[in-house]
Amino acid sequence: MIPTLDITKDVCPMTFVKVKMGLAKIPPAGKLNVLLAEDALKNVISSLKQEGHRVSGVSRQESAFLIVVEKEGERP
Amino acid sequence: MNIDDYKELKKGGMMRQKEAGRFSVRLHIVGGDLSAEQLRAICDAAEKFGRGTVHLTARQGVEIPNVPTESLAAVKEFLGTTGVGVGVCGPTVRTVTACQGCRVCPSGVIDAPELALAVDREFYGQPVPHKFKVGISGCANNCLKAEENDIGIKGWIEPRWGGKACTFCGICAAVCPSKAIEVSPDQAVVSVSLAGCIGCGDCIESCPTRAMGEGNRGYRLYAGGKFGRVPLLGRKILRILCSPEEVMAAVRSVIEFYRAEGRSRERFGDTLMRTGFPALDSRITERIAESS
Ligand code: SF4
Ligand code: SF4
Ligand code: SF4
Repeated sequence: MIPTLDITKDVCPMTFVKVKMGLAKIPPAGKLNVLLAEDALKNVISSLKQEGHRVSGVSRQESAFLIVVEKEGERP
Repeated sequence: MNIDDYKELKKGGMMRQKEAGRFSVRLHIVGGDLSAEQLRAICDAAEKFGRGTVHLTARQGVEIPNVPTESLAAVKEFLGTTGVGVGVCGPTVRTVTACQGCRVCPSGVIDAPELALAVDREFYGQPVPHKFKVGISGCANNCLKAEENDIGIKGWIEPRWGGKACTFCGICAAVCPSKAIEVSPDQAVVSVSLAGCIGCGDCIESCPTRAMGEGNRGYRLYAGGKFGRVPLLGRKILRILCSPEEVMAAVRSVIEFYRAEGRSRERFGDTLMRTGFPALDSRITERIAESS
């Protein structure tokens, strides 16, 4: 099961801080679902890309977006 | 009045105060940048020649108020040793403003201070029909309010969609602040209306697949803006320019156009209202073509 992190109630920079904390708990190349508000999309995705992670899936939820983040690194 | 002080007064940059015999000495600053040494010298000058205060103006300028007539030549000489010159007034090209641009600001697209120096070197204090201001913002966030200037310049990133990797997730359209993007999964296309695009690059940064890539990156020019009694917002002119050389050629031809078409004491925006913007655009396009 892929863990899901809900940051729809957070604002920058806590949005990305929480995603980083979430990613710290999973192994390299592991997946994390992140539920986030439209306002947070740009900053979260661009920061993820900058740190070498991948966004491998996106779907629009009711008033938010669900993105699938793949942590950087080789599978252990 | 001593002849040296009189000469300084005639050159301009010394603003006559309400209080008789006192002047606010305007300094020559480019893009709001000063070294610590220069700042110290300005403080010293304020204490030595003024009343120990400094005024920061609305356009990144610095003035030393309350300087008596008999100290005008001396204050200039004192500051000159640290490379801080006296400013200008009247119908000339004024202070060039700039943000810190791409060398400092994470959002920066262009090197705004470097361009400000180039514009300043060539045009500061040069005669034109009326006061003429240039302001440079490093990116579309436009902290330096490009549209308020006779010539405004912004860093600009224009996207280009390359279909292959696109998953039609809709993120680019969701983040676009000007609603310039339409995602049509059924037709498998994403269309970007470049007329509506404000050059922020957010869609590129947010795209998870890199299907939204960079088309053009460079400088966007605005002309005819001003503030004061009757404000006007500058309007976008030309295509995106790609190098500082192209920008300088454009600025040169804008000023040349203003000198030829502008009436005495008519701000550039008002000149453009008479001539129309297409006349300016075609003049600049000719000049840029000649210079490249
Ligand atoms: S205009 Fe852009 S580059 Fe300049 S300070 Fe603002 S955000 Fe930074
Ligand atoms: S964000 Fe990227 S992948 Fe998603 S629809 Fe736009 S171009 Fe396609
Ligand atoms: S660069 Fe900015 S304004 Fe232009 S299409 Fe992309 S998100 Fe919209």
